[in-house]
Amino acid sequence: MIGALDGGTGNAVWLFAAAFGASALGGVLGMASGIFIVPILTFLFGVDIHTAIAASLVSVIACSCGSAAPLLKERLTNIRLAVVLETATTLGALTGVFLIGIIPTTYLYLLFAAILAVSAQQMLTRRREAAQTAVPDSRNWATVLRLHSAVPDRAGGAAAPYHVGSVPLGLSLMYGAGLVSALLGIGSGVLKIPAMDTALRLPIKVSSATSNFMIGVTAAASAGAYFVRGDINTALAGPVALGSVVGAIAGARMLMGLSGDKLRIFFVIVLVLLAVAMAMSGFGVHLKT
Amino acid sequence: MSEYLTRGAAQERAIAKLLHYGTGLASFIIAAGLVVEWLHPSTNTFGLGGGGLIKCGVALLILLPVARVALMLIQFAQARDTAYVAISALVLAIIATGFLAGL
Repeated sequence: MIGALDGGTGNAVWLFAAAFGASALGGVLGMASGIFIVPILTFLFGVDIHTAIAASLVSVIACSCGSAAPLLKERLTNIRLAVVLETATTLGALTGVFLIGIIPTTYLYLLFAAILAVSAQQMLTRRREAAQTAVPDSRNWATVLRLHSAVPDRAGGAAAPYHVGSVPLGLSLMYGAGLVSALLGIGSGVLKIPAMDTALRLPIKVSSATSNFMIGVTAAASAGAYFVRGDINTALAGPVALGSVVGAIAGARMLMGLSGDKLRIFFVIVLVLLAVAMAMSGFGVHLKT
Repeated sequence: MSEYLTRGAAQERAIAKLLHYGTGLASFIIAAGLVVEWLHPSTNTFGLGGGGLIKCGVALLILLPVARVALMLIQFAQARDTAYVAISALVLAIIATGFLAGL
């Protein structure tokens, strides 16, 4: 453990550095670093898991907002679909806010371990483009809500239109993603992206951009409640959020320098190790650091 | 399909601006707070103390996505898109419920 957390300057520097490192490495692979913040805070800094979750949500918001602008300018974000799905993610987050005080800490650790394992598995499998259905039903939700859109062609060619799949299924999956986000202090991109790929059948770039866009609002719904409750230790959350934002920018720039495949394997190993460590903490086996 | 691409381009640019400058401002305030705390660790938490600044920056970050939904609501209202005004309002109401529940 790196000293007691009294909000001292030395600690702020370490917190910034840890968040920067996680975010920069995550940024190289285009993944959100939120999932690493809670393990870093609990294992490295000895922070209580509830405090770590609340602090992590702030950096999740910062990363989502900080990276949204270029994706919006490229017209990859489907903002209408995002706001429709946000009704479900925020409702899920609200449920999480009410549940987090009741759920035993053991279950939080185990749920976190499970999400880390799912992330590792997802990192190993390559995402495939969903096959586009020819003509959408004129009475389905996506048509009524005018959600169908198109992906602009970078080379200036014709835009590729796409149709949005099952909105009710998407909404129920998003409710779950919002719930997990509030309970674990993560962006839940790991749950949102499969929901968008399979239920809504969006092109990969659109589902990544739209998922990232929604993560900020989802996290703000729970972080707002935790902030008002006084559960957010800002001496902790501040440097972590700042480190994450700066790290994400640095990571995006490093993109060319590092080999993607080696880094991918490294991340899978880290995710699996963290899953094991989280599960052990859940069962009361504490690691000495 | 060009109507998809022309529709809402200005709307999305405005949202991008809000999020970009909002994140920048909040990060700057947090960084300033950390520097103030490093130089004058004993300054009190309220007013212009380092801790107070960090708290302000964190609060601003949390409010930023909420401001984004509010901006979208205004944009949909200007476009007289009643369904989406209602959907944005619902999202804001759910977030507000969370804030109130925290009190």
